[in-house]
Order: sequence, then structure tokens, then C-alpha cells
Amino acid sequence: MQPVVQFDNVTKSYGKHVAVENLNLSIEAGKFVTLLGPSGCGKSTSLRMLGGFEMPNSGRILLGGKDVTRVPPNKRNVNIVFQDYALFPHMSVAKNIAFGLELKGLDNQQIHRRVSELLELVQLQDYAKRLPSELSGGQRQRVALMRALAPDPDVLLLDEPLSALDAKLRQQMQIELKSIQEKTGKTFMFVTHDQEEALTMSDTIVVMNKGKIEQMGDPNTLYGRPGSVFVANFIGETNLLRSTVVGTEGDTTALNWNGVTIKAAQGGLAPKAGDHLYVVLRPEAIHCSADEPTSGNRIKGKVRQRVFKGNHTSLSVEVADGAVLNALVHPSDVAQLNGEDIWVGWKPETTTVIPDRHAHN
Amino acid sequence: MRNMFADAPRTTLTAFYWAFLLYLLLPLTLMMAMSFKDANFVAFPIGDWTLDWYAKVMQDKQFLEACLYSVMIAAASTLAATTLGTWIAMLIVAEGIKGQVIIFALACLPAVVPGMISAISLRIFISTIDMPTGTAAIILGHTVHAVPFVVVMALTRLRSMPGNLVDAARDLGADSVVAFFRVTLPYLKPALVGGMIFCVLLSIDDFVRTFFLGGYRPTLPMLIFAKVQGGMSPEINAMATLVLVVTAAVGLYAEYLTRRARTR
Ligand SMILES: Nc1ncnc2c1ncn2[C@@H]1O[C@H](COP(=O)(O)OP(=O)(O)OP(=O)(O)O)[C@@H](O)[C@H]1O
Ligand SMILES: [Mg+2]
Repeated sequence: MQPVVQFDNVTKSYGKHVAVENLNLSIEAGKFVTLLGPSGCGKSTSLRMLGGFEMPNSGRILLGGKDVTRVPPNKRNVNIVFQDYALFPHMSVAKNIAFGLELKGLDNQQIHRRVSELLELVQLQDYAKRLPSELSGGQRQRVALMRALAPDPDVLLLDEPLSALDAKLRQQMQIELKSIQEKTGKTFMFVTHDQEEALTMSDTIVVMNKGKIEQMGDPNTLYGRPGSVFVANFIGETNLLRSTVVGTEGDTTALNWNGVTIKAAQGGLAPKAGDHLYVVLRPEAIHCSADEPTSGNRIKGKVRQRVFKGNHTSLSVEVADGAVLNALVHPSDVAQLNGEDIWVGWKPETTTVIPDRHAHN
Repeated sequence: MRNMFADAPRTTLTAFYWAFLLYLLLPLTLMMAMSFKDANFVAFPIGDWTLDWYAKVMQDKQFLEACLYSVMIAAASTLAATTLGTWIAMLIVAEGIKGQVIIFALACLPAVVPGMISAISLRIFISTIDMPTGTAAIILGHTVHAVPFVVVMALTRLRSMPGNLVDAARDLGADSVVAFFRVTLPYLKPALVGGMIFCVLLSIDDFVRTFFLGGYRPTLPMLIFAKVQGGMSPEINAMATLVLVVTAAVGLYAEYLTRRARTR
């Protein structure tokens, strides 16, 4: 199937500073795609190029297979939800939503019908006549979303639309956004630097770093099989064990980590003895016990810190040579771990390995 | 017991305040009081009171014509100054235009040049381009004088405008002209209304430029000046009082509008 959006080798620089470098990205119709990355990595720039507000220095941008690189924003069938909503302050809610419809040349009746339909979708029927200044943050957010959806764009672009909301409302809006996306079947391209937000809503996450795509995949893959140290660190909490390959047997690798031998799945890397690898070990994959586990990787350690977090307790366990592993322990298991000396263990198949790029170049 | 010397600074300040108010208001009050005097000359005591002078003013063809002329000039120069001033303000905030500081400085210059100098230079200018003195020349002069005020007011408002409002309009299908008229202009409206009222007042009030650029048809200030030359009479007081009341009302309304815009 033809992808709705294609970035074809797109580069954008401001003076000497390269904001987006050789971006290649295809987005399938009807997907919720998230651009995720730290501040300044070029997410907004990519989105603004797709919206028509920035011109790439090189490369092409295609919408539904058509080259739109040089098409002005008003002639592109994409709409943006801005971070601060950018609602027109002198127009009522209904007028704001109608704006794009009027410019499309719809007649009054059609406009009226579409506006009521959209207001209903977000339960704002009673607010049609209000000015944006008379709405709450969450309501403004919804109006901005509906205004952008109204002209029926091929792709809806959202640039950190939830960052101005408080934590509670934000979670609620995440769910609402996702459900609106599913109801309308629209392609959403969402930008955020919040990994939790990305994991909650996306079909596909595109992790960006310094203007380049680091990794792209569904949330499960990115969390479970991060392809680089950057991704492993950026998405979720993690223990990164820098280890040396000792040998391989079948599809498991034996590694030496600070003098301890551990096993890990190869993850298609085909490592050779002497290679350096990072083992990605998620805190929740670690099992802490008072007695030595019977199978899997196991190391003796001392509890250095316990932090109670409500639904779990976070333990910092000092193992071999002063290295520290972070583990999550379920409340029902904490009681039996009252001593300082415990065992940490994990199954090799719950980890993944990442090549140590710095060791090779 | 309160020491009266401890209160001295306060008392002095209060006294100054009242003295200042008196100084501000006394001439105006006198002028207004005299307009109700039932006698042919302006002096105390006011024996009898009358509204005759007002009746006379309202029937004075010269006065009414001068009023109309002044209003016409004010309307034309306000329209021109607002259009020009808004355009200049847009240029100054636009991206990718060089020399914005210079444009701003040039646009503001007429506001700080002394009226006399401005009047003389305008007169020289119109004779250089062979423009006759009269209505067009006066409108030109008033426009040049008023533009800086519009520019500053429009700029202040433009600078407070969220940058992506126009982006949002463009995104929803507006070309730059539609975006200007449907988003930028309504956003500027409170500032422009205030600016326009200010332009009207400036124009109605202007004497020096009008004097240098005018033809034989007198504007209101010129008419009053001519009448004063012929000797004071309560009729002039009545005229001036009318002008004062109308302009004060307009000025207060403008202030109300800008205040309301600010609280939005
Ligand atoms: N108009 C501009 N002029 C110069 N540099 C710019 C401009 N816009 C963006 N940049 C630079 O380009 C880089 C990418 O910016 P961009 O806005 O895309 O980041 P971002 O990923 O959206 O970050 P954030 O999460 O902070 O919004 C940044 O280093 C930024 O400083
Ligand atoms: Mg951004």
C-alpha cells in the first residue's frame, strides 16, 4: 500500500546547525505514529516541514505519493495541532472549528453540521459560542484538535499538544486522543519528548536523536529490544551491563560482566569472543530472593537502598565489584527481603544485547 | 498628641496636589463659565446666565462648515495614517526584511520633530512637487504626523500576538491575504481603534501644519483663531467648550476601549 507520508532523504539546517539529517521515513495510513526524542533533536522541524512551514535544504517530502516539498501550507492537506493550541482569540469555539471548512468552500449548512458533529465527539456542544479565553486548558486542547480535524486532513500533525496540561488531565487526554484516532481512522503524527506518552498511544514510535532516526518500531519492540544504548536509556528505566563475550552456544551468548559470567540471548548479532556488548536488563525482569534461584542468571548482592513507590519497591542492589543493579520488587515479596544479603536473578531470554558502538570505531 | 510637623510633608504634598488641579482646571472652568454669560464681553462679574451663545454657535454657518471640514480632513488622514501605519508595523515585524530598525526610526521621526519644523518642511515639500496648498496638502500633513502613533500602537499589539496564529490560519487553508484580514487584523483591532481615535484628535487639534498647508477654507482651529483675532466674545467660549466636551468624550471612550482590550 502507498504510504501517506514519505520523507525522502530530507535534510534541514539552520546556518551551520543541522536540525534534521537525511531523514527517511514512511508512514502508513491510519497509524498513530510518534516522533520521540530529547529536546532539540529535530522533531518539530520535521513536523513543520511536513506542514509546509519550513523548506528542506535537500530531499523530498511526499503526501499520498505526491511531491509537496514546495507546496505552501494552505495547499497541503495536513493540519497541525499546535503546542499552545493557537486558537483564534476573537472567534468563538464554533467559528474556530469552522475556519478551515469555510476556506474549503463548504456551504453554511454543511459547515454547521460538521461543527456540531465534531463538538459532539468531544462533548463540547454547550460551548460552541464561548471564546477560547473562556475555556479550560483541556477544553482548549479539544477545540484545537477538532479545528485541525474539521477539514478532513490526510494526516493530523500534533506538536506536543499535551505538554501544557497537568499530569492527571494529560493521562486522560492521552486516552481520549487515542480513541479519537481510532474512531476517525486518521493518520496521526504525534511529537513528544515524553517516552511514557509515546508508549501509551503509538502504533509506531520513531526515536530521534540529533536530527537522525535512532530506531523505529512498535512500542513493544522498542521497549523490549532497543537497538542502541540511546534508545535503551531513553525508553523506560534500564540496567545496562557492559560485558565481554566469552563464547556462544546455540543462540545464547556467555558473557563476562565485572567478573561474573552471565548468559543472554544473541538477538541476531552473531557476536565473537572478545566483543564488547551491552546487556539490557529491565528492572522489572530482575527477580530478588533470599535464597539462590535454581536457574537463569544469578548473582549475590547487598541491598544498598530501598525506595517505596506505592505499587512496588525499588531496590538498589550492589553486586560484583561495586556495580549496582536496580530492581523492582512487588510489595508481597518485599517482606522476605529484610536482610542485606540477597540474590538477584533473571532469565536470559528477558534481556537483549546491544553492540558497543564505541568499541568498534 | 500628634505633632503637626510630622505631618508637614504630607500636608505640603496634598496642598501641591490641589494647587496643581486648580492650575489645570481653572482656565478651562473660566472658559466654560464665560460661555454662559449674558453679555457681549468676556470679563467678571457674570451677572446673568444664558444659553444664547450656544444657540448662536449652532446657527453659525461658518462654524458648522469649519466643523465639517475638520471632520472630513480628520477622517481622511486617519484612514490614510491607519492603513500606512499598520502596513509599516507589519513590515517591521516581518521575517526576512533587512533594516527594520531604520524603518522604525524613520516611521517614528515625525512624532518627535517640532511641529513648526515639520510644518515648514511639509510646505517646502508640497511646493517642490507642485502640489497646491489646501485640502490634499493638509491631509498629507496630518497623515505624516499621525503615522508614528499608529505604528507604535500596532507594533505593541503585534509583538504580543502569538506567532503561530498566522501559521494556524495558513495551515487551515488561508493564503497570506486571507490570514491577514481574518486573523491579524481582528487581533489588531483594539489597538487600531485606539490609534484611529488618537489620529482624529490629533488632526482636529492641529493648528501649525494646517496653517502652513491650508488654503482659504478654514478648519475649526483656524476659524477660532481668526475669531479671536477679531476680539474675544462669549461665542468663542461656547465654540471652544463644545469642542472640548466632544473631544474629551471621544478621548475617554478610546481609553475605555483600550482598557477593555487589555483585560481580554
Ligand atoms: N528557526 C530556527 N533557527 C535556528 N535554529 C533553529 C530554528 N528552529 C529550530 N532550530 C534548531 O534546530 C534544532 C531542532 O529544533 P526542533 O525545534 O526541531 O527541536 P525539537 O525536537 O522539536 O525540540 P523540543 O522538544 O525542545 O521542541 C534545535 O537545535 C534548534 O535550536
Ligand atoms: Mg519542538
